[in-house]
Amino acid sequence: MGYLSESFLHALELVFAFDREVQSAVWTSLYTSSGAIILSAVIGIPAGVLLGLSRFRGRRLLVTLLNTLMALPTVVVGLVLFGIFSRQGPLGSLGLLFTPLAMVAGQMVLATPIVANYVLAAVKGADERIIDTAMTLGATRFQAGVQLVKEIRFGVMAAVIAGFGRVIGEVGVAMMLGGNIRGSTRTMTTAIALETSKGEFAFGLALGIVLLSVALFVNLFLNLLQQR
Amino acid sequence: MEPIIRVKKLSLHRGENFSLSIEDLNLYPQQIYALTGANGAGKSTLLKTLALLITPDQGTVSIAAAMGGDLVQLRQQVTLVEQSPYLLNGSVSDNLAFGLKLRGIRGKEQQQRITSTLEMVGLAGLEQRKAKHLSGGEVQRVALARALVLQPQVLLLDEPTANIDSKSLQAFEALLSRLPDYGVTVVLSTHDLTQPARLGAQLIRIENGRLLDNLQRLTKHRNCKPTEKKQWLKPLRVQGL
Repeated sequence: MGYLSESFLHALELVFAFDREVQSAVWTSLYTSSGAIILSAVIGIPAGVLLGLSRFRGRRLLVTLLNTLMALPTVVVGLVLFGIFSRQGPLGSLGLLFTPLAMVAGQMVLATPIVANYVLAAVKGADERIIDTAMTLGATRFQAGVQLVKEIRFGVMAAVIAGFGRVIGEVGVAMMLGGNIRGSTRTMTTAIALETSKGEFAFGLALGIVLLSVALFVNLFLNLLQQR
Repeated sequence: MEPIIRVKKLSLHRGENFSLSIEDLNLYPQQIYALTGANGAGKSTLLKTLALLITPDQGTVSIAAAMGGDLVQLRQQVTLVEQSPYLLNGSVSDNLAFGLKLRGIRGKEQQQRITSTLEMVGLAGLEQRKAKHLSGGEVQRVALARALVLQPQVLLLDEPTANIDSKSLQAFEALLSRLPDYGVTVVLSTHDLTQPARLGAQLIRIENGRLLDNLQRLTKHRNCKPTEKKQWLKPLRVQGL
């Protein structure tokens, strides 16, 4: 117990001393996860709306596939993209492996099915009159779709929150595609894994506290947006 | 006079039990038409088809060529108010502004139109009220105002008086019966068999998805030419609504 409480106090000291390593890991986590969730929203929201509104052959199969992709293990995504971004891979010439961009790409793959699925569920639960109302007032199908997203904005926001939660706390993609390079691709989660394995429990705990606090603040912020 | 809406050999199937089949139906400008029939007869489906929201399996619904344009432009001239209308999130004003923005009407003109239309339906001063805080009757009136503010050529109303108390009914009917003077063709569905006469409306009876009368034989046009249209922005205020 003494070990735990001492480590916890030390962790708090590190947090409030604005330790440089801690700051760097926090920043990397935040900007890679934010970049990934923005891209996931750009792809996942329209995909969810389209799947929710259209009827075509193979739609059910596509929805099942999307559900399966929600459970994608992070290391599998990391592994596949590692193959694509590695020197011998199809995108090897871009030199993306072990860069924050590769992490963003991997996290986007993880978050997009979550965002699309949550939006799809929100569209299915939406009032059926929304599209007709918008269209009879003169909207095109696209404008009616945009209005639908505005009407179900709580569900859309929940989709973004869930997607962000998935990527800010994942280790597999960040480790395999980022390489855990200090000052460049080291995120909070990869730093926790590394420091704890080195015996730096307090440092790992400090990052854990920050990670939870960041998740709390992001959710508080998004909840505030929802209430507007 | 050329019809404003022409329905030809329309046929539409919904599931195994319902089909709408209309051989020929012409609706003329600046008239009021009352659609009557039992529940499930096809009134709402016909209104949605006239609103160009449902594409028929066969046949055509054509809107007067003078209105021109593609499907969206045509739809912008024909506005449907559903029986239980959906109000968009936001304020009463946001709801009225929605269609105006789509037509590029913003700023002062938008504000003027919203104010005068709300006045027209007896909701003056309610611009900033949240749509979700309105009563059933107010929702119906906001939905009507949201359609009227767009100054459509054709106004389709699905049982518009179903949620209106008897006190407001008279004023509401007075408002409807004056709309043709402002260039509007009104088609409303109703269960009140005395309402068409009160509105001076022509009757379209529908049963099991088929028209019962040959409307052309019944038609006696109101003496109203498009050139006699009154100025829209002059509030069409009716006392008691």
